[in-house]
Amino acid sequence: MIAAVSYAVWVVLGVCALGLWARSRSSQASVARPAVVVERLATGPLLRILLVLAWMWAGWHLFAR
Amino acid sequence: MLLAGGAAYALGAAATRAFTLPADVVTAIPIVALAVLVVVRWPWRPQPLVLPLPETRDSGTPPRSGHPFRAWAVLFAVVVAWELVEYLASGSRGEHPTLSSIADAVDRSYVLKAAVFFGWLCLGACILRRGARALPGAEGSTRPTGSTGPAEDL
Repeated sequence: MIAAVSYAVWVVLGVCALGLWARSRSSQASVARPAVVVERLATGPLLRILLVLAWMWAGWHLFAR
Repeated sequence: MLLAGGAAYALGAAATRAFTLPADVVTAIPIVALAVLVVVRWPWRPQPLVLPLPETRDSGTPPRSGHPFRAWAVLFAVVVAWELVEYLASGSRGEHPTLSSIADAVDRSYVLKAAVFFGWLCLGACILRRGARALPGAEGSTRPTGSTGPAEDL
């Protein structure tokens, strides 16, 4: 039961992400597209460093460890 | 060509097992490559991207409300919070799955692992390309050959 609730929350969060992505693609979107979010992060003086480090850590954690 | 190369690399990387030298090597190569490329290609002093709100972008009318990045920031915060709740909860990882444990399950499938690795490579390429666009005082003139502009998306 606990696991079902946990997985359900993850599914809801995934659906929310897909919903935001779909909403960002409409012509009058008030939500930035994912690539624009990446561009905003990649052009911030500090954020871009954190973004690259996060990408590196994610790859190492997922595939090497 | 790059996509095909990335896909082939991901298929090869998916054949390795975590905690082995081959897995370390195939994962370290893109990491080192991105580190070198961001130093070479990114401007030392970037100008953060500023987006006009949709209403002012198209019709000049006052903005309705909100911020184009707010929804994503909120979703990210909720994901981080839930990840922490699950990580710190007492009980087995099966009862309280984290993103890492879900990824472990995904990695047991060769095809899914290759897809995730390919997605990781694509995200790295996207980060590199998007960050290379921002040179101070030269908006729109610094895009690398082949990019199509801000409307291009993932």
